[in-house]
Amino acid sequence: MDENVKTAEREVTLERLREIDDDLRLPAVPEQVSYPIETLIPEARTQTPAVGQRASRPDGRLHGLGQTKYIDDLSFPGMIHAKIKRAGISKARVKNIDVSEAEKMPGVMATLVGSEIPVNSFGPSYQDQPVMVNGTVFHAGDPVAAVAATTEQLALDALDKIKIDYEPLEAVYDPIEAMKDNAPQVHEGESNIYSSKVIQKGDVEQGFEASHRIYENTFSTQMVEHVPMEPHASIADWDGNGRVTLHSSLGRITLGRADIARTLNMPINRIRVIATVVGGNFGGKNEITTEPILALLSKKTGRPVKGVYTREDEFMSSTTRHPFIMDYKTGMSKDGKILARKVRLVCDGGAYCSWSETTLGKACILSAGPYNIENLYVEAYAVYTNKTMTGAMRGFGAPQVCFAYESQMDDMAHDLGIDPLDIRRMNAFHEGSASPTGQVLESVVVRDSLEMAAERFGWQDWNK
Amino acid sequence: MDVKLTINGEEKSASVPPETTLLRLLREEFNLTGAKIGCDVGDCGACTVIVDGIATNSCLMLAGQVQGRSIETIEGLANMDDYHPLQKNFEDLGSLQCGFCGPGIILSAKQLLDDNPDPNKEEIQDALAGNLCRCTGYTKIVEAVADAAREMRGNREAA
Ligand code: FES
Ligand code: FES
Repeated sequence: MDENVKTAEREVTLERLREIDDDLRLPAVPEQVSYPIETLIPEARTQTPAVGQRASRPDGRLHGLGQTKYIDDLSFPGMIHAKIKRAGISKARVKNIDVSEAEKMPGVMATLVGSEIPVNSFGPSYQDQPVMVNGTVFHAGDPVAAVAATTEQLALDALDKIKIDYEPLEAVYDPIEAMKDNAPQVHEGESNIYSSKVIQKGDVEQGFEASHRIYENTFSTQMVEHVPMEPHASIADWDGNGRVTLHSSLGRITLGRADIARTLNMPINRIRVIATVVGGNFGGKNEITTEPILALLSKKTGRPVKGVYTREDEFMSSTTRHPFIMDYKTGMSKDGKILARKVRLVCDGGAYCSWSETTLGKACILSAGPYNIENLYVEAYAVYTNKTMTGAMRGFGAPQVCFAYESQMDDMAHDLGIDPLDIRRMNAFHEGSASPTGQVLESVVVRDSLEMAAERFGWQDWNK
Repeated sequence: MDVKLTINGEEKSASVPPETTLLRLLREEFNLTGAKIGCDVGDCGACTVIVDGIATNSCLMLAGQVQGRSIETIEGLANMDDYHPLQKNFEDLGSLQCGFCGPGIILSAKQLLDDNPDPNKEEIQDALAGNLCRCTGYTKIVEAVADAAREMRGNREAA
């Protein structure tokens, strides 16, 4: 057969394929539907009709019937179970990992260590977090090895058979210590401070000079774990075509998908992430955790692999709320006006950056409180320590600084002999106030809210 | 190890390794995934089922211990025609958010209402003391239990 005939034949089949394909497509230009151009926009401060109405949750019935399927309630034919070995030491060099005994156990189908991860780093701001330890341990919850076995119990038993040699390294746990020049470095580099921000407005020194009294306090908040009732869980299924499907409790699936693509060094279109109902997130399920590990174990075994965190995993290695150390210096006039405020925030980020940058920025802007302050200076630092990593958690730094400025507000009110409600009313933002970063605020109802709240819970009686 | 037991009124049996907990027996052998694994150490109540009339953390009970006993799970509460007043009131009030704690809470509440048809607020709170919920703050949960109790008393009087 000569070449041309072959090509002709090929063109015919291609033509045919294209037709079939075209039949399945929607028209390239969809039919025009005219919507009313003028939409009803409620005026500012008027509520939509939905407010105040009763509505039942669309998922409420299945919740009550116990029929909502979370990740751990799903299973697939041939599915096996993965468990993760955690470092248990906060800073160390891994000299050797021996998984041979674990692999010999009946029921164990595969193991995985950090050197097998194609691109062993990820993170939303800085890619400073390894999927699994490769060489250095940065905090005790770091995953060092993983096992996939036919049952969860076997996988757990196999973890005990993994032998790891560590050379302990000097760790640092206190963020203030970690900021010093001679502190042990958590990650290689010049400094443990990986992000800093400054806000400056007016002249604080002048403000302090004009003040009747100056109050200086240090406040600190602790690390908080989200403790979602459902622990992190995912199922990975690497199929024969080199595509991987992940059922995951991830809350931010698009971001997660990009991180999975990066760490597996795969085009993103080969990764499919299916999110189901999440059993509590609170910010703690915003990043990938074991997804790439499960995907690689699935690739090794040709089986769907489920990985569910134990509650211990959850506490040791999932993200937490940032502990903050906050120095507040506030200058007050005799009658209770805030004249100047100087704030220094140290955000203990733990071992990896995760959302610390975002958190720091938000904490910084909000650190002055909802109060008009002409003279303001805020400096903020995010610092690495060899502790469980921190991440997003409801409020991104807002609750920490709120605790500080409101505590100080109470102390100052007490000292100046002013009613705590009055001192807040006097300083609170009003319509058109500018935020510390110069944003002009609209729809400001902080005073109304304060007054309404005070009235509803009987502040006057309570205060007697 | 062979276990024979009654689940939601039906006789069942299974052969499982001796370390299997009742929770895993229900979830893995019988696909009754309403009981959840929240902590696996008896702290959270997500795994609550009713064993011989008593709300129990099924993660703390071994399959071997339920030999011959009768278990009620969340899946047994509703049937094709009707669902339990607790389930109905939880839905109506939007008592659950993520829902993960729901099956356990509803079963703890069911035992309470089986024993005490007219509980006061403290008694409801006390009955739910072993069930953690991280989303809701419990207010609507306690209200739903009280509403369900009222509804059930009404039904009984009408009958
Ligand atoms: S899983 Fe049983 S009490 Fe938490
Ligand atoms: S509704 Fe989420 S834990 Fe209760």
